[in-house]
Amino acid sequence: MRLDLFGRIVSLESRKLMSYRVDFWLNVLVSFATQLAVAYFLWLAIFDYTGAETLGGFTFEGMVLYYVLAILLGRLVRGQERDLAVAQDIYQGTLTKFLLYPSDYFGFKYAAHLGDLVPGLIQLLLFGAVSLIVLELPPDLGITPATVVMAAVLVAVANLLTFLLRFTIMLIAFWADNVWSLNVMLRFSSELLGGLMLPLSLFPEWARAALAWTPFPYLFYVPVMTLLGEVPPSEWLRAVAVAAVWSAAMAGIALAVWRRGTLSYTGVGI
Amino acid sequence: MIRYLRLYAHFLRFSFSRAMEFRLEFYFRVVMDVVYYLVNLAFFTVIYRHTTLLGGWDLDQIYIFVCGFLFVDALHMTVFANNLWWLPIFINRGDLDYYLVRPISSLYFLSLRDFAANSFLNLVIAAGLLVWSLARYPEQLGAGRVVLYLAFLLVGAFIYYILRLTFIIPVFWLHSNRGLDEIMWSLGKLAERPHQIYVGWLRIALVTLVPLALTFSYPAHVLFEGLTAERLLHVVTVTILGTAFLLWFWRRGLASYSSASS
Repeated sequence: MRLDLFGRIVSLESRKLMSYRVDFWLNVLVSFATQLAVAYFLWLAIFDYTGAETLGGFTFEGMVLYYVLAILLGRLVRGQERDLAVAQDIYQGTLTKFLLYPSDYFGFKYAAHLGDLVPGLIQLLLFGAVSLIVLELPPDLGITPATVVMAAVLVAVANLLTFLLRFTIMLIAFWADNVWSLNVMLRFSSELLGGLMLPLSLFPEWARAALAWTPFPYLFYVPVMTLLGEVPPSEWLRAVAVAAVWSAAMAGIALAVWRRGTLSYTGVGI
Repeated sequence: MIRYLRLYAHFLRFSFSRAMEFRLEFYFRVVMDVVYYLVNLAFFTVIYRHTTLLGGWDLDQIYIFVCGFLFVDALHMTVFANNLWWLPIFINRGDLDYYLVRPISSLYFLSLRDFAANSFLNLVIAAGLLVWSLARYPEQLGAGRVVLYLAFLLVGAFIYYILRLTFIIPVFWLHSNRGLDEIMWSLGKLAERPHQIYVGWLRIALVTLVPLALTFSYPAHVLFEGLTAERLLHVVTVTILGTAFLLWFWRRGLASYSSASS
């Protein structure tokens, strides 16, 4: 796909998302506030009751900061989760027009997915800045320009991996009547196993060892820990490599499913 | 009353025959909800590796709380969710006319006409989990308290329905409820933890203005601590006021409805 076309789709999608601004910002604000409030009060209750200085390697302040970053980086990794559009294209027969375009479908959808990230980026900068001012930060905070760059690379790979996981699932729409449930299932699993609901350092050792072989920790937990300066460069390189291998594997599977699916696609929709 | 029950039996028959047309989706949905249940149970299991009490509840009690919330969620998904999902679309497309001219309550018809048969198996699984959590509880709970707990869970499900609908009805004026619905979904996350962990104005709001604490958390309190007159009065008052408000709000919404493509 041509770069200028790719850029235009990114721009168009981001503007589309911001078209209902009051709706958008109200939703974003309440969603961020409630997610953070649930985590804040949960851990406040636990730290108060146990009297522990640290849990899973986090002080209370560190835990709150983890959730702030996980929520905000999570939005960059996941986008707006509108990839059901792929399944809709198949169900409604609108995929046909994309097949006729002199450009590939994957490029279109990935550009639209990246366009979804612009509001997330604004939220990251805005809420991130406010949180840094309002929240009590841990004294040994390890965020440096280097960790920001390292985390940005991981977020980019995690974003691609998330897109590929969802894209592959959506392609099952070539054969199944409805794939919404599969997408939601992926979301539930990745929130727990990826570290969005809980830092993975709280999991038992055997679970962490098993999870390291899956794509989930590289979606949220490892990018956040990298930004916090808790991941040494060698570990970071390994994480980027593992996430890239998972992305390549998912791209291969998606391509195979796409080829099989388009053979059975009739273009009439359901 | 009999007429309404007979009508509901027809809703059930139509819903099951429709669900059987999409069998793969039926199974996907079952697996999806099972994953959701496992994720919630696993979440608290991991939390309790690092504490013995949360909001005064131990792991056995929190399993009952979680299974209660999963049961109410499954009940909502089965009975109300599909209908509430379609309601804003009907209002915006002017499809409400069909329901308004029927000789029964439009709110009844629109809230209950689509029974999610593909979620029904999940309701059975959630009920099974609830029985499991109650059965593994190490102390004697007593049949009376368990019955009271189930009754409070059903009232909780009704309060949750009122809240969801309250966030949907503004579509009569706003024409898009996506933002409001997502706000309700976000607020609903607060109810998925025991309400006693919240402090200050948030806790007060959760038992009064947005009474989400009454949906899952209060029933568990009744089970573990027994029913007090104060708590009973609280739940009854909120339910009556909520119902009255919902009926008034619904009528106001209908008064603003101007049929096709309003």
